[in-house]
Amino acid sequence: MGILVNKDSKVIVQGMTGREGASHSRAMKEFGTQVVAGVTPGKGGTDFEGWPVFNSVAEAKKATGANVSIIFVPPAGAADAVLEAAHAGVPLIILITEGVPTVDMMKAVQEVKALDAENRAAGGEGIRLIGGNCPGLVTNGEAKVGIMPNKIYTNPGRIGLISRSGTLTYEAAKLLNDAGMGTSTTVGIGGDPVIGTTFADVLPLFEADPDTDAVVVIGEIGGADEEAAAEYIAANMKKPVVAFISGRSAPAGKRMGHAGAIIMGNVGTPESKLAAFKAANVPVADTMPEIIDLVKAALGQ
Amino acid sequence: MKLHEYQGKEILRQFGVNVQEGKVARTPDEVRQIARDYGQPVVVKAQVHVGGRGKAGGVKFSPTEDKAFENGEKILGMDIKGLTVNKVLVTKAVDIDAGVEYYIGMIVDRNVQSFTLMASAEGGMEIEEVAAATPEKIIHHRVDPVTGLRPYEAREVAIKAGFKGNLNKIADMMVKLSRAALERDAVLVEINPLFVDESGTPIALDTKFEIDDNAMYRHQDLADWRELEAEHPLEIEASKYGFAYVKLDDGNVGVLGNGAGIVMTSLDVVNRAGAKPANFLDIGGGAKAEIVYNAVKLVSKDTDVKAIFINIFGGITRADEVAKGVIQALNEGILTKPVRMRIAGTAEEEAKALLAEVNSPLIQMFPNMFDAAAEAAKEANK
Repeated sequence: MGILVNKDSKVIVQGMTGREGASHSRAMKEFGTQVVAGVTPGKGGTDFEGWPVFNSVAEAKKATGANVSIIFVPPAGAADAVLEAAHAGVPLIILITEGVPTVDMMKAVQEVKALDAENRAAGGEGIRLIGGNCPGLVTNGEAKVGIMPNKIYTNPGRIGLISRSGTLTYEAAKLLNDAGMGTSTTVGIGGDPVIGTTFADVLPLFEADPDTDAVVVIGEIGGADEEAAAEYIAANMKKPVVAFISGRSAPAGKRMGHAGAIIMGNVGTPESKLAAFKAANVPVADTMPEIIDLVKAALGQ
Repeated sequence: MKLHEYQGKEILRQFGVNVQEGKVARTPDEVRQIARDYGQPVVVKAQVHVGGRGKAGGVKFSPTEDKAFENGEKILGMDIKGLTVNKVLVTKAVDIDAGVEYYIGMIVDRNVQSFTLMASAEGGMEIEEVAAATPEKIIHHRVDPVTGLRPYEAREVAIKAGFKGNLNKIADMMVKLSRAALERDAVLVEINPLFVDESGTPIALDTKFEIDDNAMYRHQDLADWRELEAEHPLEIEASKYGFAYVKLDDGNVGVLGNGAGIVMTSLDVVNRAGAKPANFLDIGGGAKAEIVYNAVKLVSKDTDVKAIFINIFGGITRADEVAKGVIQALNEGILTKPVRMRIAGTAEEEAKALLAEVNSPLIQMFPNMFDAAAEAAKEANK
């Protein structure tokens, strides 16, 4: 089953008729995901490769009963697309778009959190945003709502994977796949400074998931998400967690591609992340292949 | 986009911040003229996008017109951390002893998913040094991105930070700083020092201002401020191609890959292999052969680079496109340094076939990133 998405998830694609939206809609369908509709304002009522297209998320949700939306809208309209989905009551929103202005994300994340609290207070299941600038998520053997290559998920397994980096998500998923362990759910949370869901938000879902035995966390320099994750693990997790930190040799003060991957003063250094994981008894792999050995050891294999 | 001090001050002025008066000069004669107009001691300050200008001799107090001219001659044309000083800001000097220096700043803070306002009574110093030595001396306050900073919150921060002077005026400056940060899509804005004179009035003496590149499309009025000559030539070229590129000091291995995470990890792997990465270059997702060709061309131009390590995990990116780009660079004679690469993922087999056809000793493929990095390191350290 995994977490967040499964074979029963009904997915709409905001920006389906754009280049990225179209190719990934096809790839998700090939994976077996139930993609039920597209949303492109102005193209409502048309058909796109067999999918109905709607003018708004609200219309698409009403007509299809969708419960997940994945967004491929260009940066200038991406945060607005998130808010449209959130106000339409879509419980899981995945923002793939890269390059969204940070101030837009600050406002959107805050509003989604307020709607989430409101929705829960009214007895609903809440509203969760994942990303932006993320590769999405995959529950192996069931559904992919994202842009990961399908072929690295041929081996459904029982290891949960959470990552800030797109490519390293692929790398880790392939390593787990090739090692015969496979993944339960992979969650790419994104590398931007302001994102909807953090490591510490995802960890409790894996802890509660009967189909996950251990969790791999792929972190990087910058911010204090890994430190917060370590704190959560120490206090709450019974399942083993293994970590990897990217960018350990990056110089301070330089922004390494990910806007979030920058060491500012003494915040976000590899040392503070390593120390936090050490304090939480989370083994940290020196190289990515070592992740496999550490997971095996943690599971007593 | 990083702004010069004078540009950052101009934006703050537009938001109503009390900024110290100053003018830009490009020649020593202009410096003298400004000093004469002000009729008082001035400070001549290099306008370059690097920290530590003062320590590098780029900021000089000038009690007389002649001294201002002399300092202008010294600073203009000076090299600070690899950048040439083409402009100086000449400001009226302030008698620092007749007041106090504070620090205020707004920074994008991922831990609170918004801006954090920082304030410290330890002004005039590098705030990173204060943060490292005495973190308790910096007050942090999350700013609501929708409402902005309210005056009462600003006063609370000023009181906690131990600021003296006209608290209403200081709080007002903080509110204006926060408006500038939110409305101008700042990544970082600092006023340091924030000088509070004997009458209790705050004045911004220096500022750092950096704008979110992702939001530049809505600040077209500032686009002209981007000064390409003030950035490293290879970084300018990289920005034309849309690469994320960072030149690193003391490196000998050029590093490129597809995605920030994998490139960061590639830097780690090169270090581990006993060499030093000369750059960080992310070609992004879905790169075609031409992009890769341009990336190889760019890295090849760096004379510090002795070997190139390419690390690709193709999802959207096709390995054969990467191979084609590298081969084109080889065929055109641009590629003269050994390339050691690891390409996995989409169209990996096609890439291998293309490279086998070319069969050049300059280009070698390896099944994993460690072997490729080790070979690149070996070549670079020869």
